[in-house]
Amino acid sequence: MDVGSATFDRSSLVSFAKGTVSLAVVLVLWEVVTQLGMIHYYFLPPLSDILFATDSSFVALTADGTLIYHGYLTVRRALVGLVIATVLGIAVGVLSARSKIMSWFWDPIIEVGYPVPVIALVPVFIFWFGTGDVSKIALVTLGCFWPVAINARNATREVDENLIWSARMMGTSDRELLRRVVVPAAAPGIISGLQIALPISLIITFVFEMVAGGGGLGHIEIQGVRSFDSVQVYASLIAIMILGFALDRALRILRHRLLAWT
Amino acid sequence: MSYADFRLDGLEESVPEPVQRIAWFVFEWIPLAILVGVWELMSGTVVPSVVLPSPFEVGAAVWELLVTGDVLPHLQISLYRVGVGLALSIVVGVLLGVGMARSQPVENVFEVFLALIYPIPKAALVPLAILWLGVGTETAILIVFLACLLPIVLNSYNAAQDVDQNLIWSAQMMGMPSWKIPLKVVIPATFPSILTGIRQAIPIAFIALVSAELIASNEGVGFEILRYGEVGAYTLMFAVLVIISAAAFFAVRGYEWAERRLIRWT
Amino acid sequence: MVEGHVTISNLEKVYESGGERTKAIDDLSLEVPSGEFLSVVGPSGCGKSTLLYLIAGFLDESAGTIAVDDVPIDGPGTDRGVVFQDYALFPWRTVMGNVTYGLEQKGVDKKERQDTAQKFINMMDLDGFEDKYPKELSGGMKQRVALARTLAYDPKILLMDEPFGALDQPLREALQDHLLDIWRDLEKTVIFITHDVEEAVYLSERVMIMTRHPGTKKTAVEIDVDRTQPREDIIMSDEYTAMKNDVWQSLREETKPQAQL
Ligand SMILES: Nc1ncnc2c1ncn2[C@@H]1O[C@H](COP(=O)(O)OP(=O)(O)OP(=O)(O)O)[C@@H](O)[C@H]1O
Ligand SMILES: [Mg+2]
Repeated sequence: MDVGSATFDRSSLVSFAKGTVSLAVVLVLWEVVTQLGMIHYYFLPPLSDILFATDSSFVALTADGTLIYHGYLTVRRALVGLVIATVLGIAVGVLSARSKIMSWFWDPIIEVGYPVPVIALVPVFIFWFGTGDVSKIALVTLGCFWPVAINARNATREVDENLIWSARMMGTSDRELLRRVVVPAAAPGIISGLQIALPISLIITFVFEMVAGGGGLGHIEIQGVRSFDSVQVYASLIAIMILGFALDRALRILRHRLLAWT
Repeated sequence: MSYADFRLDGLEESVPEPVQRIAWFVFEWIPLAILVGVWELMSGTVVPSVVLPSPFEVGAAVWELLVTGDVLPHLQISLYRVGVGLALSIVVGVLLGVGMARSQPVENVFEVFLALIYPIPKAALVPLAILWLGVGTETAILIVFLACLLPIVLNSYNAAQDVDQNLIWSAQMMGMPSWKIPLKVVIPATFPSILTGIRQAIPIAFIALVSAELIASNEGVGFEILRYGEVGAYTLMFAVLVIISAAAFFAVRGYEWAERRLIRWT
Repeated sequence: MVEGHVTISNLEKVYESGGERTKAIDDLSLEVPSGEFLSVVGPSGCGKSTLLYLIAGFLDESAGTIAVDDVPIDGPGTDRGVVFQDYALFPWRTVMGNVTYGLEQKGVDKKERQDTAQKFINMMDLDGFEDKYPKELSGGMKQRVALARTLAYDPKILLMDEPFGALDQPLREALQDHLLDIWRDLEKTVIFITHDVEEAVYLSERVMIMTRHPGTKKTAVEIDVDRTQPREDIIMSDEYTAMKNDVWQSLREETKPQAQL
């Protein structure tokens, strides 16, 4: 799957236009049906209410800074955890593909650790580290570590042996080999691991925020449910959608930049 | 690392094969033993055993939960939620994926919605599901379904697009009516990719399940972990965690085993 | 003293994988004087690549020794440069980046690196492609980059494993003549592996024929032609045809099924 490129030829523009039509139909239908009161307000408020016409609408909550501040809390937790997991995961993954002792040690641990639904550790981490940012970031790190490590390991294993040999014949020492050849050659696989880990970091952050509070978009959203303010639920979901989209895009652009050679 | 890397010359003649195999197995799993050992040593010394119950205590608690049957209803309801959600996502996902790949109008209608839900981490849809369905099984099933839908749609979509056109032509030439072609030709040809999509979906299904149960449930293993944590029964909390991890592990393993079987038959 | 002479004595290589042992090279001895152009031909699977990678130091010998200028080799070294059949260029580096890599490792400063690399890039008719990535190049261009990369850090010995095998005829002939020019100008020892008898005889001063698996040296044929003439004149001459025939006959015996021998 080519996750790195976006094509804008004519046919995709046409189908995009057609897709937009079907989206527009649904949105208009949404507004009309809800304004006519055919659906209970609590289930599905009119689109206009969600976007701008009420106190807890998307525009209102953005204008008073609520969504921006809590979006910042969420992004910080997710990204700090993701970055730590990336550093650790690449180190463990690359080394366990290149060193027999490391692979002896890590392979069975990865085998057993990967399928554990890390999200189920939320109550455990609350118990161990409390409900604050440290706890959240630690769990995000743990959850993102596995996909990054596994992808880094597999990509490193598949590095063409001839590349390593060419580097060695040109005088590359074993230590430089990792930095100068192995990691660049494995970079596409490593970045794929990051792309798998990104949504995991967000899921863990949101669920943690919903269960333990402490601010963040997940907290704002579940608060909407608890205060029977469904407009706030939808408004925070729009923010979450934008956030997820932006982070996904950013990672694709990063991939495109770093892997211009592929 | 393979067995051959550690073989000593001449060893294979002097030691019987089964013994070698057992020795290798033991050797392979030593790191996990080390990990459990460190856990055992730390518990009660570096960290109080309340904070980190020893592996034996947790093991005993797992045993107790299973023998008394306290956890079984929760495990049952959780597996039911995962199973139904996953099954729904397979049926809908395959139909949608194949439909979008083979028909431009279908693609035009659905593509934009899939593109819209793609960037949302599905766990963030739990509050919305609560608005619609309340707290409980329906919400969990919906979240599992939505989380698993995309990998299955994507895999079957890509594979159905790549189906050899010759296959379709030859089916048409042999007089197969065109409405039957997706069912009789495209889906079978897409089968291996569908299996791959399901394999990717299983771990996602468990993540979605536990997310939903932590936020919006009064039963199920996710809820049990949370409840034991809240009442301070930490050993039991760890025990349930072990049980749900084992369930996820064996679901993936069992599926991979069945998949290999299935591939060999077909 | 001119450098780059290779001495191989009683070389043996046994592969072990999954408890299975395959003998690839059996008791092979060979002397390659410095500055010689030696080709190696042999039936497929006889161990030609294995021999080359042993000399390069990528593989460990099971028995026997390989020495360069009377010093036994210990792993890969910058005195030996390999040109791989599948190029093995670093895909994340540009043409310039690939050619300068060996110089970077030697600690040559930036200006000089660029100049040296540019010289070899020009020599290979690659000027204008310095900033392209390998994926943007054709097979023949990649092989020229690979040759430039290896020449740039100036190894005494060139080890080439069917470098032109994947190229079409005109391109292959052009690169062959190019290689001969370079060999004459830069005074390298070349060990060149090919399965193409024509190529072996045209390029080299001596052709070694290997036996079928497990491979060892069968014979060597001296190719004594006046290489100052143009290609057409060389390959039309009677003595050239005779020498080519010798090599071909010898190789035929190894390729034929056992029963017919
Ligand atoms: N890594 C390996 N493990 C086990 N056996 C190997 C390995 N590499 C090569 N062999 C075996 O060693 C023998 C020689 O292989 P080698 O690649 O050197 O042959 P070759 O002469 O280069 O063949 P070709 O002309 O097809 O390239 C073959 O029988 C091959 O199967
Ligand atoms: Mg070969």
